[in-house]
Amino acid sequence: MNRATPLIELRSVSKSYRKGGETIDAIADIDLELPEKGMVAIVGPSGSGKSTLLHLIGAMDRPTRGEVVVAGRVVNGLSQGELTRFRRRTVGFVFQTFNLIPNLSALENVALPMEFNGAAKSERTKRAKALLERFQLGHRLKHRANELSGGEMQRVAIARAIANEPRLVLADEPTGNLDSKTGALIYELLKEISRERTVLVVTHAEPLAAMADRVLHLQDGRIGA
Amino acid sequence: MGMIVLGLRNLLRNKVRLVLVAILIGVPFFLLLAMNAIGDAVQRQTAVLAENVNTVLQLRARGSMGHVNMVGQDRILPQDVPEKVRGIEHVERVEPYLLAMAPITPPNFVMHVGLAPTAVKRLESHGEAGNPRIIAGRDLTPEDAGQDVAIIGQGYAQWAGIKPEDMGTATLTVDPTRTHPVIFAMKRPTRELRIVGMYASGYVFGDLQLFMPIETFRSIYGTDQGTSWLFVKVDSVENVPLVAQRVRETVGYVADILVPESAAVFTATTSRTVKQLSGAGGLLAIALMVIVVFFVLLMTVRERAREIGTLKAIGASDGGVTVQFLTEAVALSLLGGALGLLLFQAVGAMVTGRLFALSIGPFLPSHYKPLFESLAVSNQVSASVLLLVLVVAVVAAVVGSAYGVWQAVRLSPLEAMKHE
Repeated sequence: MNRATPLIELRSVSKSYRKGGETIDAIADIDLELPEKGMVAIVGPSGSGKSTLLHLIGAMDRPTRGEVVVAGRVVNGLSQGELTRFRRRTVGFVFQTFNLIPNLSALENVALPMEFNGAAKSERTKRAKALLERFQLGHRLKHRANELSGGEMQRVAIARAIANEPRLVLADEPTGNLDSKTGALIYELLKEISRERTVLVVTHAEPLAAMADRVLHLQDGRIGA
Repeated sequence: MGMIVLGLRNLLRNKVRLVLVAILIGVPFFLLLAMNAIGDAVQRQTAVLAENVNTVLQLRARGSMGHVNMVGQDRILPQDVPEKVRGIEHVERVEPYLLAMAPITPPNFVMHVGLAPTAVKRLESHGEAGNPRIIAGRDLTPEDAGQDVAIIGQGYAQWAGIKPEDMGTATLTVDPTRTHPVIFAMKRPTRELRIVGMYASGYVFGDLQLFMPIETFRSIYGTDQGTSWLFVKVDSVENVPLVAQRVRETVGYVADILVPESAAVFTATTSRTVKQLSGAGGLLAIALMVIVVFFVLLMTVRERAREIGTLKAIGASDGGVTVQFLTEAVALSLLGGALGLLLFQAVGAMVTGRLFALSIGPFLPSHYKPLFESLAVSNQVSASVLLLVLVVAVVAAVVGSAYGVWQAVRLSPLEAMKHE
């Protein structure tokens, strides 16, 4: 990992919620730098702020204080339209529940982010097909989500996440809905794609955390040792 | 595959729901088309009335109904009146009528009318409706002048036992000697008339008349000279008062002149009432469509919140989400419109008549209701009707889906992270 050129920088970032008249600090004054490429696991007990940290880095949420800088851009200062373009080009998401669009085929699901990014049809079809073949899903191109197994759906979701060749992939409990054998395959895949980009994974799965280049332990909204 | 295609494909996710929603939107569309058809039919009928009545003056012998055999009401206009009136500026046409009453089942009676075969066949007592629809056989033609032929109203025909299929061969005997408390006997021979056509007028008394050539009438009743009623067609509504004044000056006080005040009242009240009611019905139909689209879209957005969040997380813009849901709403609405059109073509004419009788008929001024009891509603789908469906479908979809689309646009990509 090259520590000289961080992809992600968090500068005194906090995120607070008001709940029942009480202020809860989901993320408390975090400073963090993460490099370009490699796999980073975020672990910690429930409620420790793992998902909130992921949302802040993925520009899905704004911090209460501090700055989130991704790929050289202060994302908490971006307008709604700029945020959309940022998510489209810089970040790929992998969800615990796969979140494939149910009435689209595997190929169409993977091609969708490229369409949002303005790629020509021939180009996006070619690339979506290549990605699915790379993930051993060449025989499932025309299948819809309900015709795929959990592992296949998550592989399609990972292919979709890297369709626009983003520099960052965020995965929220990507093996949470899979059995251990299928989960291991997904770990391998995430590890593989992290050679070309930064993959930030929120996980409870120790084997996945063990494969990461770096592990961030979160406790009460703070990064532990 | 753009957001438009995605929106269209979303429609097919739940086919049962699609059919149900199409029906829910299609029924108000049917209602809208029915109201539109009623408005058109009334407008057509009103236009005919306006053409035939608004510009027509009626002359009768002073103080008399002018019926040649009615007790105390048998004075008729002098022979020279039609010629005098014909010479007045702005007079387009002059149509002399001769009328006699004939008793049927007591205490009812029918009306025998003599007129030029091509004259407008006006219905006695109302006088507003002209040229009733021929429903069997044919109308009188110039060749019938002086012949023993007639056309008969369907009510009169029913009483006389004459059937529509008998036109051209059926006969009716006119007997001037028959009396009634208000009809005096005329010592004249009976005459057998051949019935060549049957008409329907849309109201009961209008269907109790017999139209025959005026020469035939004169011959039967021995009325060699004079006219019961004289209808004077003026070239425009604006010139009616002027012509009325000139008629008064020309023919003197031998005649009562009836200006078309009642017809003006009719067009001003009935037509306006029907337009307002059919317009209200149309608005109600559109409101129903908007409500259906509103709830369907709201439900859809709630069901697909996570999917919308996912689309946003992978790069869909607010505009893209808007296009997707608008496409879905417009397609649903158009599908409902197509269903409404099919329904209207299939049962429109039948149902619309009843709808009119139930929804608009009761609000009409009572003395004009009969004129519309058999309203001829067309279920033809014209280009303007198609345009109406198209415009209403798009407007209902846009208005009805606005809140749902707004909700979808407001959804955060964080929705994608929510676990079931």
